[in-house]
Amino acid sequence: MSIVVLEHVSKEYRLGDHMVRALDDVTLSFESGVFLAIAGPSGSGKSTLLNVIGCIDMPSSGRVVIAGHDISGQTPDQLASLRARTIGFVFQTFNLFPVLTAEENVEYPLLQMEELDKQDRRERVKEMLELVQLGKFAKHRPSQLSGGQRQRVAIARALVTRPELVLADEPTANLDHKTGEGILALMRDINRRYKTTFIFSTHDKKVIDAADRLVGIEDGTVRILGVRKEGQWAITNVARRAASTTDTEAAALKR
Amino acid sequence: MLSDTPAKRRRPTRLAFRAKFTLAVRNVLRHRGRAFTTLGAVAFGVATLILSQGFVEDIFVQLGEAIIHSQTGHIQLAHEGYFVHGAHKPDGYLVADPEGDKARIATMPEVEDVMARLGFPGLLSNGRADLPILGEGIEPAKEEKLGSFVKISSGRRLKAEDHFHALLGDGVAKSLRLKTGDRAVLMVSTKDGATNTLDVEVVGTFQSFSKEYDNRAVKLPLTAAQELMNTKTANTLVVSLKQTADTRKVANTLTERNVWRDQEVKMWDQINDFYPKTVALYGKQFGGLRMVILLMVLLSVVNAVNTGVFERTAEFGTARALGNRRRNILEIILIENSLLGLLGVAAGVGIGVGLAKAISYVGIPMPPPPNSDLPYVALVRVSWNAVITASAIGFAATFLASIFPAVKMARMDIASALRKAI
Repeated sequence: MSIVVLEHVSKEYRLGDHMVRALDDVTLSFESGVFLAIAGPSGSGKSTLLNVIGCIDMPSSGRVVIAGHDISGQTPDQLASLRARTIGFVFQTFNLFPVLTAEENVEYPLLQMEELDKQDRRERVKEMLELVQLGKFAKHRPSQLSGGQRQRVAIARALVTRPELVLADEPTANLDHKTGEGILALMRDINRRYKTTFIFSTHDKKVIDAADRLVGIEDGTVRILGVRKEGQWAITNVARRAASTTDTEAAALKR
Repeated sequence: MLSDTPAKRRRPTRLAFRAKFTLAVRNVLRHRGRAFTTLGAVAFGVATLILSQGFVEDIFVQLGEAIIHSQTGHIQLAHEGYFVHGAHKPDGYLVADPEGDKARIATMPEVEDVMARLGFPGLLSNGRADLPILGEGIEPAKEEKLGSFVKISSGRRLKAEDHFHALLGDGVAKSLRLKTGDRAVLMVSTKDGATNTLDVEVVGTFQSFSKEYDNRAVKLPLTAAQELMNTKTANTLVVSLKQTADTRKVANTLTERNVWRDQEVKMWDQINDFYPKTVALYGKQFGGLRMVILLMVLLSVVNAVNTGVFERTAEFGTARALGNRRRNILEIILIENSLLGLLGVAAGVGIGVGLAKAISYVGIPMPPPPNSDLPYVALVRVSWNAVITASAIGFAATFLASIFPAVKMARMDIASALRKAI
């Protein structure tokens, strides 16, 4: 089953006097369990694509289905619940709450789940902090943690709700090379062990090499689709063409 | 497997009040710098309001006390009509049994003292010139206790054992060039139309808070005045109270009791009708000033609250991305600022009352008020009323100021909010 389905998705917004077309007729679908990189230069539309998939930005036209939910026509509250239960977010700037400790940050998304009591939450938080090897730092505030540790806390926070999908916007861009590799390895490990789908945006060649699926985007349109088989990329170049044939390319991404 | 079942996924999510409250408390207590900015603005505002109100209130209270302890006392009783027409014909409005009435009034627990006065118009002569004056027979010992605001500018006060002695208003003494030890002649016409004179010795001169009064007043012992007017009675009974706040209550009781038939009871601020007029005028002027202070307080609170919220745009964007509902964001911000408002108000009341006490301890030297020659020391008077008003303003300002940024944060576009992250 496809966890993400985009059909003819376009996104336009106004910048000063003129309209910018950030996404132009994008059709894609991703299978559950992929470790997928969205690559492209800055301004290519990869962040907008990630935001649309993450239900924090609505497309101007087209259809978006996330984990079986068609997001068009949903109220802000319904989308909030969908995000809370289905999607985990990891940000380039970590975006931890500065006044909360590591464990409180990880607990944060669980606070809105009424079915979980304090004990449940504590167990899950403990489990997640162990998973990202920060059990000893539970009581530390973000300011007392290194960049890599902060991003691990963010990953624990993204996973604690047991989401089907984790979206990471340039997760290693604010980290040094070695730490970034560690974060990638951690996400890769979680992807393999728990079959959690990871979609991340990047413009770093090394990060792309860690992925098993690739979407190359430029000027709001999909240019490259890649599937890695036995360590080798099988790349399909997608020229601009009629919308009706893009479904074939989308199919190429399936396992 | 890390995933939940699809059934669970459809359950709505929302933050319970407890969670929101805990988050708000953590935000207030763990980000001292930011909390301090808002808290400081609120506390400063509340303290300023308490101090300014206390200063103005002290002016009114002191003016009132000056009136009471110069001349008027708290309450006066007279025959009906005396207060309007009595000045020209005091002998038409006499209290039949002043001693008995005084004793009856003195039994009230709120009453400090009751004294009789006999007023009469007359002429004072220094042998070369005459000056129309308003004479007043008083009970020296009791008046000395009441008249704490009367300043003796030369000589001494009247004493109980004085008889043919007079204490002159400053203006009277100046007009007739009389000084302590001089002799003067008082001339009056009695009830039955005869002219009577009395030779008196000037024992001193006085200044009250009212120049106008000092230009006309001559005080002499009641017994001498009674002799001069050929009567055994008095015009007014002056009641002084232990506490000014009891004035209305006692006045009402006296009116109900009807100490004698055709009595008229007047409170000090009714007798001195310029007092309410002054309060109204000053109140308006200080009111304008207080509006400026209030505006400054509001602006600084609004600014602090807005800064405190908007600098966390990315944080709220993150919370929204993590699934918090719009309403939850709104509630978190409102709860947080309510807490800040409460803490700020508490701090402001502490600072305001503390400063008021400190300033009152030192005192603010003030020039003489209008129509007066006497400078005085102003204090800052803290009333419950002022504290409650300032607290309400401080809290309401914080809460209301947070509504706009809270709504803005709740409705913001998540993607652009997240771009604000550094």
